[in-house]
Amino acid sequence: MRFWLDFQESLRIAMAAIFASKARGALTTLGIIIGIVAVTTTMTAFNGMQSAFREGAAAVGADVIYVSRMPWIIMGDWFTYRNRPNLSMDEAEALRDAFTGRAIVNPTMDTRQDLKYRSEVMEGVTIIGTTEMLPIVTNRLPETGRFIMNFDVSYKKNVAIIGKTVADGMFGSTSPLNKEINIGRQRFRIAGVMEKQGGNTFGGPDFDRQIFVPISTFLKSFGGRRFGDVDIAVKASSIDALDDLEYEVIGEMRKIRKLRPAEEDDFSINKLDSLMGAFNSVVGVVLLIGLLVTGIALFVGGIGVMNIMFVSVTERTREIGIRKAIGARRHSILLQFLLESAIICLFGGLIGVAVAAGITAAINASGLMPASISAGILVSAVVIAMLVGVLAGLVPAWKGARMDPIDALRYE
Amino acid sequence: MPVAPKVLPELESAVLVLRDVVKTYVMGSEEVHALSGVSVSIGKNEYVAIMGPSGSGKSTLMNIIGCLDVPTSGSYSLGGEMVADKSETELADIRNRLIGFVFQTFNLIPRADVLHNVELPLIYGGVNKAKRIALAKEALDRVGLSDRLTHKPNELSGGQRQRVAIARALVFDPSIILADEPTGNLDSRTGEEIMQMLDDLHANGQTIILVTHEDNIAAHASRAIVLRDGRIESDAQVENPVRAARAEHTVLAH
Ligand SMILES: Nc1ncnc2c1ncn2[C@@H]1O[C@H](COP(=O)(O)OP(=O)(O)OP(=O)(O)O)[C@@H](O)[C@H]1O
Ligand SMILES: [Mg+2]
Repeated sequence: MRFWLDFQESLRIAMAAIFASKARGALTTLGIIIGIVAVTTTMTAFNGMQSAFREGAAAVGADVIYVSRMPWIIMGDWFTYRNRPNLSMDEAEALRDAFTGRAIVNPTMDTRQDLKYRSEVMEGVTIIGTTEMLPIVTNRLPETGRFIMNFDVSYKKNVAIIGKTVADGMFGSTSPLNKEINIGRQRFRIAGVMEKQGGNTFGGPDFDRQIFVPISTFLKSFGGRRFGDVDIAVKASSIDALDDLEYEVIGEMRKIRKLRPAEEDDFSINKLDSLMGAFNSVVGVVLLIGLLVTGIALFVGGIGVMNIMFVSVTERTREIGIRKAIGARRHSILLQFLLESAIICLFGGLIGVAVAAGITAAINASGLMPASISAGILVSAVVIAMLVGVLAGLVPAWKGARMDPIDALRYE
Repeated sequence: MPVAPKVLPELESAVLVLRDVVKTYVMGSEEVHALSGVSVSIGKNEYVAIMGPSGSGKSTLMNIIGCLDVPTSGSYSLGGEMVADKSETELADIRNRLIGFVFQTFNLIPRADVLHNVELPLIYGGVNKAKRIALAKEALDRVGLSDRLTHKPNELSGGQRQRVAIARALVFDPSIILADEPTGNLDSRTGEEIMQMLDDLHANGQTIILVTHEDNIAAHASRAIVLRDGRIESDAQVENPVRAARAEHTVLAH
């Protein structure tokens, strides 16, 4: 009760003090605004990149483990991976058999081929050989038509399901369904068009510039020269089951490859996590540097607030004396000034966040890079602003709180 | 009047007791003895005027009594409790609950209106809003300022400001009201009004200690203590407090 009254009174004084010297408050706030705008914009830029990346990476699937010859992100010596044997279709099938009834196993192979339809040509399109299980593993579905079906794989049908970019590029506004196109030297009938995946950033794979064909057809048409280089996706029943599944997959793979206990894995386990981790460690460093630099702006703003708070405390020395004489405790005085500087900074934070939201929208509109603001960023920016206020107010407020009441009362 | 060294009265009835109180200020290498051994006891509902030349230690004594300051040596007990043992916070609470200050320069908070100024001690004392406003209004009523609740101090005359200060001093029903030259910044007529107000409070049972230079102000009190060089020079009952005289005047005027 008493603290609450203290708080109310402190709030009241703080607001009165701020409104009594608006111009000064506004100037002080400016420093905080600039700092918060800088920090917030850095965060929205990072956030934008991250969500763009995540969107693009969604095709990978968060609950999926990929067994591949190489790790997606190569840390350390590339040569240690170079001599690994390719993953073969036989091994993929062995793994599928091992997990029958426990997890969905889907092999894929890929290559690049040129497309041709009448006079339209598209070069270097990613061709992915896979099975009817791919939509289940990656949550990617055809927008029109159908995906690869079981019998396409069994009978090595020359059907293709094309990505959105391919569809738009080759066929424009006409429907690609049932059209016959050349992939490399083979003819394929288009059975479906995938829905748009988007999120192509940082030179990552363009998930819309792909074509899916039955893996059996793929081997027959494009895989002749080299045997293997299969990627095997294993989908967990849930994200929580992912770690256990990973452990089991490694065990099964080692069995399939007949590795002795002393031998290291000669295959790699990849998942979205490791991709995100790599992204975060690269872009995170950039973010950290950005925050450090922009944090200096905020720090300078905080110093400005501290200065003003010293002025405010000195100006109100006599008031402090009066309050102490009639029974204000030290912490009441402390609270009064801490609230004042926190509120100044809160205003700065709110304005700063609003400006940063505007800048973020402008960045997005400019198309230079993705940026996106989130509730988390808004809240943390405001909290940071208030924190700066509290920190900046601490020393001045303490100076006021520990004033001797008689000296304070005598102050002219 | 010859002064017999005051024998401390029964401690129970005393609101405050000072014994050999010394206050020494150290200014660089120099020591200033603001009080050099003051012993005094003040009982409930006493009306005491502290007098003496400038620099004799009157304000210093008031500050110690009001727990704004602590003695260098000697003991001070207020309401039976030793003040020397108290922490900062406890002293703040004593000032809040037991002491009501009236200053020469009014010392109101300029940005707060009259009502809020009077509410302040209650706020720091943790009194809820409804009760606070009721008490503050009652106190302002007693000083005749019920119609000025929303005025800011700078919209009031000196006398009115001092009345707000008195309302603030009495709002929490303190054990003692301490007034350091309460009429010092007022013309004599307004000063009289203020003194009348203190007289009324005293008549209603309030213990009052006031510092003054002026004999006619001191004459309102029933006991006068004269300080000189940080010591009590005299401590005596006032023969005919002015109040009585005024009462006669009032009667005669009718
Ligand atoms: N904070 C201080 N530091 C040093 N000396 C002080 C301090 N406060 C008071 N003094 C000294 O103590 C002595 C008593 O001062 P005090 O203010 O009590 O006198 P006073 O009787 O109230 O005088 P006045 O009538 O002028 O108000 C003076 O000599 C004064 O200079
Ligand atoms: Mg004085």
